[in-house]
This record gives sequence, structure tokens and C-alpha cells, in this order.
Amino acid sequence: MKLIFEKSIPGRAGFSLPADMFDDINVEEILPEEYIEKGKKYLSEVSEVDVVRHFTRLSKYNYGVDDGLYPLGSCTMKYNPRINEKIAASNNFTKAHPLAPIELVQGSLEVMFELNKLLCEITGMNQFTMAPASGAHGELTGILVMRKYFLDQGQKRYKMLIPDSAHGTNPASAAMGGFEVVEIKSNENGTVDIDALSKAMDEQTIGLMLTNPNTVGLYDEGIEQIEKIIHGKGGLLYYDGANLNASLGILRPGDTGFDIVHLNLHKTFSTPHGGGGPGSGVIGVKSNLIPYLPTPLVDFDQENNVYVFKDVGAKSIGMIRSFWGNFSVLVKTLCWILSLGPEYLYQASRSSIINANYVLTKLKDYYKPAYDRFCGHECTLTGREYKKYGIKTLQIAKRLMDYGYHPPTIYFPHFEPYADETIMIEPPESEGKEILDNFIDVMIKISQESKETPEILKSAPHVTPVSQTDDALAVKQAILTYDDELQNKDKLNYSKENINF
Amino acid sequence: MRYIPSTKEQQEEMLKDIGVSSFEQLIDNIPDSVKLKRKLNIPSALSEFELEDKISRISQKNANFQKFKPLVGAGAYRHFIPEAQKALLQRQEFWTCYTPYQPELSQGTLQSMFEYQSYIARLTKMEVVVPSIFDGASATAEAILMSLRLTHKNKIIVSTLTHPHYLETIKTYLAPHNINIVEISFENGLTSLKKLKQTIDEDTACILVQSPNFLGGIENINEFSDIAHQKDILLIQVITESMSLGLLKSPGDMGADIVVGNTQSYGLELDFGGPHNAFLATRKKYIRQIPGRIAGETIDKDGKRCFVMTFRAREQDIRREKATSNICTNHNLNVIASNIYLSLMGTEGLYQYSLLNAKKAHYFEKKLLETGKFEQTYKYPYFNEFLLTYKGNINNLNNILIDNNYIPPLSIHKFYSDSFLENTFLFAITEIFNRDELDSICRLLSR
Repeated sequence: MKLIFEKSIPGRAGFSLPADMFDDINVEEILPEEYIEKGKKYLSEVSEVDVVRHFTRLSKYNYGVDDGLYPLGSCTMKYNPRINEKIAASNNFTKAHPLAPIELVQGSLEVMFELNKLLCEITGMNQFTMAPASGAHGELTGILVMRKYFLDQGQKRYKMLIPDSAHGTNPASAAMGGFEVVEIKSNENGTVDIDALSKAMDEQTIGLMLTNPNTVGLYDEGIEQIEKIIHGKGGLLYYDGANLNASLGILRPGDTGFDIVHLNLHKTFSTPHGGGGPGSGVIGVKSNLIPYLPTPLVDFDQENNVYVFKDVGAKSIGMIRSFWGNFSVLVKTLCWILSLGPEYLYQASRSSIINANYVLTKLKDYYKPAYDRFCGHECTLTGREYKKYGIKTLQIAKRLMDYGYHPPTIYFPHFEPYADETIMIEPPESEGKEILDNFIDVMIKISQESKETPEILKSAPHVTPVSQTDDALAVKQAILTYDDELQNKDKLNYSKENINF
Repeated sequence: MRYIPSTKEQQEEMLKDIGVSSFEQLIDNIPDSVKLKRKLNIPSALSEFELEDKISRISQKNANFQKFKPLVGAGAYRHFIPEAQKALLQRQEFWTCYTPYQPELSQGTLQSMFEYQSYIARLTKMEVVVPSIFDGASATAEAILMSLRLTHKNKIIVSTLTHPHYLETIKTYLAPHNINIVEISFENGLTSLKKLKQTIDEDTACILVQSPNFLGGIENINEFSDIAHQKDILLIQVITESMSLGLLKSPGDMGADIVVGNTQSYGLELDFGGPHNAFLATRKKYIRQIPGRIAGETIDKDGKRCFVMTFRAREQDIRREKATSNICTNHNLNVIASNIYLSLMGTEGLYQYSLLNAKKAHYFEKKLLETGKFEQTYKYPYFNEFLLTYKGNINNLNNILIDNNYIPPLSIHKFYSDSFLENTFLFAITEIFNRDELDSICRLLSR
């Protein structure tokens, strides 16, 4: 659709000004001429009505969890409760300045303090830092904590073990943390190959990053052996919390031998994904790692009966961001945990596991599972049966859009021979049985279409505002701003209909 | 439970269809020894009204921040946020969706990213804009890592007047990489160009300077640029107060190679420090080394103009340990928030608000000096944040302000050991203060 710049009309305004514009102060007298822009920087000129219509229209070109099933594997696209949004948006929270004296922000500090206690009990860890802004940011923080711990022991370890099924963030974070990545192959069950792990683990290796259930949605039954192998060589076990939604009240990473965990609050704990964030990637550690956490932590000063910021001390890795954390996300997390309590946290995981296994059972005759076993909170199917009809998994995904669904995660994870052409489906607890039944029916219908009328898949999607984008062209022409487009106007030569739809 | 729709009966039916007699069978590959055999020891579930009651009680332990106005900025500024923006952000399509991996279902997000990139490019005079990295500090650390990749050198020079949290974050990010970080001190509230000239050499990858700097002073970016470019050093400018871009000369016009901007001032709440957002802007020739996601224009199969995430071969989900950054989830909703904000403000609005910030701050400084209780710490050009030395009792100053619903300015001495900076305060004034308020604060402080 038209860009905001194409709706701009000289003289229009979407802002208001006070009567007192402080005209008694002359800009020439307060700022050197050479620092001031000559003229005004041109942005756009639209009215408030134009803006409201533009963005309302744009929003309709998006698909959200409230539109329907959003079964993206590994993303935990669950319902985001409205009350949590409302509470997090209260003025006392949103207008709290991060550098206000602590006596003015006791409520905000209490939120962080209480959340720490709850997360410790849920995961079996001893202390969380609320600082990391995302899962990957938590990973980097955790890796730096591990690094500092070993340096403090006088050990220089330089390798990090990561299963081939891990998210791309794991190896990328390990590299940012200064470690060499050693990939550990999966076995025929889709889990860590114990022999390969024991061969790779040595005293130059800092530890293992593991997701459990892993990224294919499978619990690692070798977890006890894994723990022995890593700790046996003095290493640390890092838990990637991306898939914690399968574990609430069922097992706790802390009891399984993990030394450090990150949680994606925007996954398991229901805070919204926001079209790619903001989320939060808080990390929790066992007692021996607390001195290395980023500074500061929130503490309660019993003597003076106040919450305070406590400096972590000389061993801390330092700060990893400005200020204290993604606070509004923390408020929503606290709200969600208190709304569910122990019983429904367990029910949330139980329900998501039942949902995933139900979808797996109903679809396994149509989309061969990567591994023939029960799964955790997500199942990994494949679209490889349809290659012989000239159908790619991508086309199955696009066809789902025609039936009103957001596609599952596709082509991830990818490792031969079990997991290629993957379709990873995560139906979280907030999806009821009848929603899943409809989705299953549609998936079966698409499998028939793949054989009988493959053309309809190849031209899909048909109902979306745009269809089959040319990603290679985007790189080739590199139009990254409206001014790039203006400079290439003749070459692009869009018709009216191709811009205004 | 209202967030878990399937009934007990439906779940039983599903378990039967799966072919198991109990849920436990689905998780029997978890070793028994690691299973939690008790309930989590956390409070029982609260009803919605109990929850609202409980948390609202906690929130009331904060000051009433609707009434309380901050005289402190230092990287987080209370500006006016238009109601239309807040209302538009309520549309679930913007906030309940995922990263726009499926462009057919994400044109709203993608076009908004593209528009925002266009605005920031115009404000900074840069060509490529990464719309979202978590915050100014992490984006600054990413900019430095980018400069190290581009130059293959191992020394960086940073102004000590960069936000202390940003400097801390840089040191944390660089700890594993054996990089020599040299801090340049300051004179009269501005980074010392003399010291900078003495410090640069062939091994220097980048010079990092914040402008307006942490003490509020506007740095002469042109001179930094001249010094940097003599030796093929990249100049990184950090901006914590993006409102300044409405009035001040663009970093690109003054020679910056990479610009990092904390955009909390563009329609984002203070939120006790986060989530805010930051952009990273640079020249097109450096595009292969940028971190994070970027939107680009293309066409669909029918020739319609549309938008996709592009130059993806740098990213962690494709390149794994060879990626330019590990960043995946960013603060993209805040990109949409700032895009709506900038659209409402437009050319004239941002200019006028920016001007108003500068005028009100300078008016207030003048009035504070007239009380006789303050003196100028430095004579330097500033935008909306300035440093003054207080001649009275510091506790007294804080108490008077808090009693009258103002968050006190930042005491600066704890960040710098210089004894000259004892009793100095960093004030931030934005458009939200009117003349009567500013005058009445001066009256309070003149007592």
C-alpha cells in the first residue's frame, strides 16, 4: 500500500503546539550557528486523521495471535492476556524514571524482587538477573558469566559445545562471547549423541548449551548422563529456555543439573512478541555463579525496610545494557504467574504437550514425523513426501494462509537424514481442541491438494494483500528507504495499482 | 482456566486419540529422578480482580508519576506522547504477531519498518538504518563490534563523556575480544580534542563520541571527523536524546560513519528504563557488516510493491557462529511506536518540539542562575540538558524538589572522580514543562 510519504501534503499537521513557544529566547543566541541545521529536515506532512487511517490499514495487513492459530514451532505464540497489558501500562509504572531516587520507585523494585523469587522456584535456580532484553541477549550474558567464572578459577577454556539442533542464536552468542563452537551431532532419536558428547567434552571446554525439550520438541532422555559428562570435566550446563513451555511444574532445569538458564518471557510467560520484540531474556544461576551476574540486582534491606539496588561486586561481568531490564515485560510476567498459580502453570505445560502430541498423531500419516516418538510441546513433521509431486514445504506453508492460518515454522531445524523439509508445529495451551481439529482438517486437505491439484499450492497464497515476494530482488536493488525509491523512480516504474492496493 | 480453553473431557478425548491412557505416558521418557514430584511452591492462582488489586497496590508504592515530573534525563527523557499513537499501538495486529518471517502476513510490520528507516535516514543523513537493537548501550556495543569487523584493528577510542551505562556495556561486550579500549578525558564539559589527537594511531578502529554528550554538551563532530578520517578511523556518534535531531545538524553531514540513536524520546514510555529502542545507521558500503534486521523494498509475483526482511545472510539463523551478531528478538514494536510518533510530528512538529526543548532548557538555566544558588559549571553549547553547580545543601535541594513532586536532577559526581564536579547536577528539561512550573521551581530553590 501507499507509503506515509506518498500521502504527505504540504501544510498538513498531525501535532499541536502550546501558545507559549518561548519566543523570548532566540535560538541564535543560545546555540552556535554551525551546530544548527539550516532549514528543517523533511519528514512528512500528514494530519492526525491520515495517520490513524494509515496505521489502522497497515495493521490489517498483519496477522496476530488474536486472529487465530499461530503455530510457529519454537516461538510459543500463546494468548497475551489483556489485564496484564493494562496493569503494565499504569502511569505509576510507565512514567517511572530509571534514575529516580529509590524511595520513589519502591513499587517497581518490589515487582523485580518478587518476580525473582517466583522464577527461582519455577526453575530451581538461586538468583535471576532481569537485565537481558531477549533470549539471545540472555545467552550472551550467560556465556560471559560462565567465562568470568572460569577466569576467576584461573582456567582458560575456549570451546563451547552446541547440539546441531540448536537455535542459530546459540552458536552466534558463543562466538560473541569469544568461544569456539563445537557442534554435537544428534542421534537417531533426535537427541544428543552421548558418545559424541563424551568425546568432545574436555577440560578446555566451558560447557554445553542445551534446550530441553530440544528444538525438535523432544525431551532428552540422556539428561542425567549429559550432566555427568559435562560436570565430570568441570564444565557448566547452560539451559536455553526457549522451550520451557513443556516443563512448568513437570521438571525444573535447576534439579536437572543446569547451572545457568535463560527464559524467554515472551514465549513461556505469555508476554507479547510485538512483531519481533520487545521481550525479555532474564537469566537465572546457581549460587556459585551469583557473584558474576551483571550489576545491579534488586535486594531488600530488612533493617531499613526498603528495596534497594545492590552492586554485584568486583567479580560481576558489568552492565550489559542501559538501566535495569525490560521492566514492562517483567510486570506482565509477574501478572501471568500470579494468575495461573502452581496448578495452572502445570496445566499450561500439560495442555501444550497434549495439543502437540494430538496434532502429531492426527497428521503423522500425512506428513511423516522427523522422529517417530512422542514429543514435548511441539512436533516436527516433514513435507518431504510431496517433493515427488513437485511441491515444496514452503508452498504448503503459503497455502495454509489461504485457509486463514499462520504457517508453522518451516525448514528449521534442518539436519539430514531425519529432519529436512521440516514443519515444526507448536500449538500452545491457549488453543482449544476444536481449533486444532480445524487446523488438522486443513493440513490433510492440503496434502490431498498437493497430489491432485498441485498448481493451487504453487500459486498460493491467494487471499493475502501480496503473494510470493521476490527476496532476491530486494537484495539486488537494495531499496532500504523512501529516498532510495525516489532515486530509482524511473527504473522501478510502478503502476498505480501496484502501489495503491 | 480462562487462558486454557480445552476442557478436561476434551483433553481425555485427545489422550485417547493419541493412544495413551494417561498424560504421564507422554512424558515417560523424562527420567523419573529429574521429575518434579510436588506442586510448585508459589501462591495459588488469583482471579483477575484480585490480581489487579494486588499489583495496583504495589504500583502505588511508587510515587504518583502522573504528577511527578522528572528534572533528570541522562539517557531517558519524559516527553509528550500523542494519544493517537497510544491508541494505534493497541491494535493487536501490531503487538501479538511474531517477527515478520512470512511477508504475506506481515506487510503492516514490514512497511512500518521501511518507513521508519526512511525517517531516520533523513534525520541522520545516513543511507542504511537498522531500526531496532535493544537500547542505546547494546547498539553502541554492536556499532563498535561492527567497526572492528570493518577495520580488522584492535584499538578503540571512546569519549569518557559517553553515557556511563553505555561505556560499561561496551566493556562487557568487548571483554572476550582482547581489544584495547582507550578513554579520552574532557575539558570544559566537552571531549578533549587535544587528548584525542595524541591518542589516535594506525591501530585505531573507531572513535566513539556521544553528542549531545553525557553532560549535555554538543560536541564539534566536524572536528572529530577530520581527526578520524586522517587515519582511516571510523567515527561513531552516539545520541541519547534523539529529540535533538529535529534541530541539530545531521551526523551524516558532519562526517559520522556510524550513528547510534536511543529513540526513547520518539514516543516511548520511560518504563523504569526499558524496553526502549535504538537504531544503528550507516553508509551503504558497510551493509554486509551491520547487525540485526532490516526491511527492504521488492515486488511480489504480480508486480505489487511490497516489503521483506533483507540482506539476511548476515543473521544468526542463517550464518550461526559466523553471523554479524546474535541478535534475534529486538524491540520492533517500538519501531512502530516511533514511526507513528514521527508521522504525527512530521517535518514541522519535530522541528518545533526540538526547538521548544532547547528554548525551555536555556530559559530554565538562566532563571536558576538568577536565584544565586547555582553557578555555571562549564560554558558550553547544549541542547536540553545542562550542568550546574549548586551552592547550597544537596539534601535540601533533593527534599524540596521531591516534596513538590519533582524528580531531582542527577548528581554527577558519582560518575566522575573530578573534585570540580562535586555538587554539580545534570538537569534535563523537555517540552512537558510550562513557564509557570519552571518559574515556580526556581522560586522553591531560591529559598
